[in-house]
Amino acid sequence: MRYGMVIDLKKCIGCYGCHIACKAENCTPPGILWSRVLFYESGHYPNVKKMHIPLLCMHCAEPPCEKVCPTGATVKRSDGIVTVDSTKCMGCMSCVVACPYRARSSYSKEKEYFLGQGLTPYEEVGYQLHHTGVVEKCDFCLSRIEKGLEPACVTACLAKARYFGDLDDPSSEVSQLIRNWGGFQMYPELGTDPSVYYLPP
Amino acid sequence: MQEDVWIETTCSVCFNDCAIRVHRVDGRVVKIEGNPDCPNSRGGICAKGASGIMLLYDPDRVNVPLKRTNPEKGIGVDPKWVEISWDEALDIITEKLKKIRADDPRKLLGGTTVILIPGPYGVHSSFGEAFGTPNFQVGGISHCGGALHIITGLMYGAWALMVDPNYVNYYLNFGCPTGFGAGYGVVSMATKMADARRRGMKHVVIEPWMGMPGINSDEWIPIRPGTDAALVLAMVNLLLNEYGIYDVERIKHYTNGPYLVGVDGHYVRDKETQKPLMWDVVDSKAKTYDDPTIQDVAIEGSYSVDDVKATPAFSLLKEHVKKYTPEMASQITTVPAETIRRLAKEFGEAARIGSTIVLEGKELPYRPVAVGYFKGPLAHKHATLIVMSLNILQEIVGATNTPGGSLGMSSRSFGYPETGQPSYSPSAGADGLLQAGYWFNPPGPWPLKREAKKPERIGAQDIIPTAHGTSLAARVILEPEKYKLAYKPEMWIRMGGNFMMSSFDPTIWEKAIKEMGAFIVSLSLFLDESTELADIVLPDACYLERLDIQADWQSSFSPVDEWTYHIHQPVVEPMFQRRPAHEVYLELAERLGILGDMYRAMNKRFNFKEPYTLDPAKKYTWEEIVDCWTKGYFGPEHGLEWFREHGLIHWPKKVEEVYWRPFVNGRTPIYFEHFLAVGEQIEKLKKEHGIPGFETADFQPLPDWKPCPSYEEKHPEYDLYGIYYRMPFQTFTSTYNNPWLDEVSRMDPYIYNIAINTGTAKKKGINNGDWVIIESSGTGHKVEGRATLSEAIHPEVVAYCSGGGHWSKNLSIASQRGKGVNPEWLMPLGWDYLDGVSLNLDTCIKVKLTRKV
Repeated sequence: MRYGMVIDLKKCIGCYGCHIACKAENCTPPGILWSRVLFYESGHYPNVKKMHIPLLCMHCAEPPCEKVCPTGATVKRSDGIVTVDSTKCMGCMSCVVACPYRARSSYSKEKEYFLGQGLTPYEEVGYQLHHTGVVEKCDFCLSRIEKGLEPACVTACLAKARYFGDLDDPSSEVSQLIRNWGGFQMYPELGTDPSVYYLPP
Repeated sequence: MQEDVWIETTCSVCFNDCAIRVHRVDGRVVKIEGNPDCPNSRGGICAKGASGIMLLYDPDRVNVPLKRTNPEKGIGVDPKWVEISWDEALDIITEKLKKIRADDPRKLLGGTTVILIPGPYGVHSSFGEAFGTPNFQVGGISHCGGALHIITGLMYGAWALMVDPNYVNYYLNFGCPTGFGAGYGVVSMATKMADARRRGMKHVVIEPWMGMPGINSDEWIPIRPGTDAALVLAMVNLLLNEYGIYDVERIKHYTNGPYLVGVDGHYVRDKETQKPLMWDVVDSKAKTYDDPTIQDVAIEGSYSVDDVKATPAFSLLKEHVKKYTPEMASQITTVPAETIRRLAKEFGEAARIGSTIVLEGKELPYRPVAVGYFKGPLAHKHATLIVMSLNILQEIVGATNTPGGSLGMSSRSFGYPETGQPSYSPSAGADGLLQAGYWFNPPGPWPLKREAKKPERIGAQDIIPTAHGTSLAARVILEPEKYKLAYKPEMWIRMGGNFMMSSFDPTIWEKAIKEMGAFIVSLSLFLDESTELADIVLPDACYLERLDIQADWQSSFSPVDEWTYHIHQPVVEPMFQRRPAHEVYLELAERLGILGDMYRAMNKRFNFKEPYTLDPAKKYTWEEIVDCWTKGYFGPEHGLEWFREHGLIHWPKKVEEVYWRPFVNGRTPIYFEHFLAVGEQIEKLKKEHGIPGFETADFQPLPDWKPCPSYEEKHPEYDLYGIYYRMPFQTFTSTYNNPWLDEVSRMDPYIYNIAINTGTAKKKGINNGDWVIIESSGTGHKVEGRATLSEAIHPEVVAYCSGGGHWSKNLSIASQRGKGVNPEWLMPLGWDYLDGVSLNLDTCIKVKLTRKV
């Protein structure tokens, strides 16, 4: 079993729904994004292309973050999900530097979404899931997977552009999509072997 | 024991009303997701919907009733609010309402946001009707698709149109965002249009700025703003006169193309029955359109009927468009002539005229092309003519209301199988023309039941029988003698909406409000830019805090696959002293002794069905009212309690509902003959009473491209078209205080900034990130923002998102510097900027762009 995701760039419309769905699921503090959307424009008028590229932790099979972690807080599980144990993390930030996908983040001081106006009832409970000074990131919504659900970003996607499943199973939907539509990884030359594949636009 | 529940309800961050489920743990809302049981959205939810938690808990929300103590009103003037009790607030309001009702009910104005359609909007409107004022929709909805609704009402029997995502192969899209995060059916259409793109649908987008549609296109074609009609008419010309690609059978049997027209432009009518005539080519004589002996009709040629020269309307259309050569259109639009030719060819061939498809055992015409449009092309002075052209393009290839084409938004319903409710269908109305079965805002566009009248309404739309909304109220308030208004408004009840930021130059409303001196009551979520002009503010409950009648507002539906109706129930009790608007209106109605009248109005507006109509002699709880509505539609077993448990009801759409064209009599107009008489009526009325403005030149039966004021503005300094666009992660101005949506907006390169073509910017010495000033040629006002240079924008255009530039400090996030501009400062309100047929606002403006030094 190797959990993986496929993001169809032809279907993705760039609505940022995944960005907010992740934030709402995980109550990530201001400025912290476990799921985000990159945008770029190329070409010259009138032959121009714009693109949205959703990003998240790639849950690499060869995770550079795990290699540099001095405390063993970062661990790649047998099902492929790369997790961080915040009780073991000492906040050295080596993994933040090592990750080529900028998937990891940390914050030193709790900040409210409504500056100067206290925490909303939602933040009061949500921030209890987080700790300052340690590194956090996407965990493929482990608590949802354990309930038989899919990650929040996959469920929320308006265009149904995100798929989740077992990359080790050749008959799974994700495996078929990768095969049939030429799924590719990001920065394959770095040898990280991400578990997130993209379908070309 | 921890409470941990999921509650099914409906989102209202925009008006699409998607089905959602909300996670509540120990009384706190911790997550909002799409309802996975909804077959159309399948659990999807957009950024706005998912961010609703932050609307519920926003500390800037109004939580207590407030009263103004500073008599001076103005933009940025502190009202010096004091807190009062609900009782005191309602006592003050009731006393004033009683006096107005006894004196002249017209002196009560009302207004809402479009976001609260259908439930609260319907309650608000019902109160106005019960009170007896014709002025209960003022100051909101100025920028909506007025012209579109008129024409789709006539041609589709529906409020709007949507592309058939299941079968369309070639989608020629003039910037419509349906399927790309906004528009109608946000979630369902995003899912389906993504599938369509994956299966190979070709998506060609024509828009001046590459917005959401253009980003997700196979080909983006930039166009000069306000010129779409020229391009479209050139395509019609090519199809009819050069390529010979048009659906003869469709035109003969389902349009008024064969109707005979005299030299005066009117139908040639049968002397006895007054019915329009067609020419039977087999019997060589004129017959009424419904004559059963007709064998084959002419759509071209010239005939003589009782010595009167009579030409089929289609022939007039064909002749009329000849002047729109690709070269002429290219000059106007800046789209190359070869591109126009290519598009017409591609479109015509992709229409596969003559082909059929079998669905559910029925053979149907198969025309897998569609023309998409909404606000963008019609945000210009000649909006109605523009919409006529866009719709005629698809009508002549037969690509409407059949598989693959443009579909009327829920034109036809057979109802829930167990009850047959709601049931409505387009049919043949007066002159055999299509009549809508259901119209959201009665009376419908056909037959035209209103005549041009001297203005009684504050918006003066009585003068224009074809207009249903109007932006004119501010003008009429400022110049009542000019518009012959016989009274002065004294009170204005507003439910949501931010008219100061979403109409036109806000100083015009500021003046009008000072001049009017009316007592303003605002049912508001925030102390926004419009609420700061109120006298009393009532803290409104948001959608997560109330139960609504989830009435028949087809916007949230998918045009295909399944009908869905979902419950709108509260997830939490209203926090602090917030109260839902319906409670306020019903209590006021009771205090005024008009509760029974309000029930009568609600019966009509919400289509309560026997035996569950509201009895004006009784008094109901709100739960009972919602239960009645629900049972009326879905039967005694499916009342409110059933919906609380199941969340939603759904059933498959039938082929005869979705692709209804072959099953319904009633001809689609491609020649708008009745416009002539309406124009004449208005001119007569104007002369009789000396009323200014209200130009009638556009009441013509066939469309033309005509330049809007921006096109004609030749001042060398005001050399750029200022236009606005919308993004899928903000709803108009209303969501800018949401910190999650703010976070997304700060990441997007454009939404908080001003997009300028790279080449154009360089010529003006502007670099990426420079602070720039935009000055309007129409109002003289300026807005400022950060420049984002882009190649994906026409060189003559600057583009900005529509909802930014908040100035109310009570919106702590929205009012921060650098969060977009409010384009309305640039927009004048004048006859040059109004469409004569629909009173739609022209929202593009020529501007001067300079770097701030």
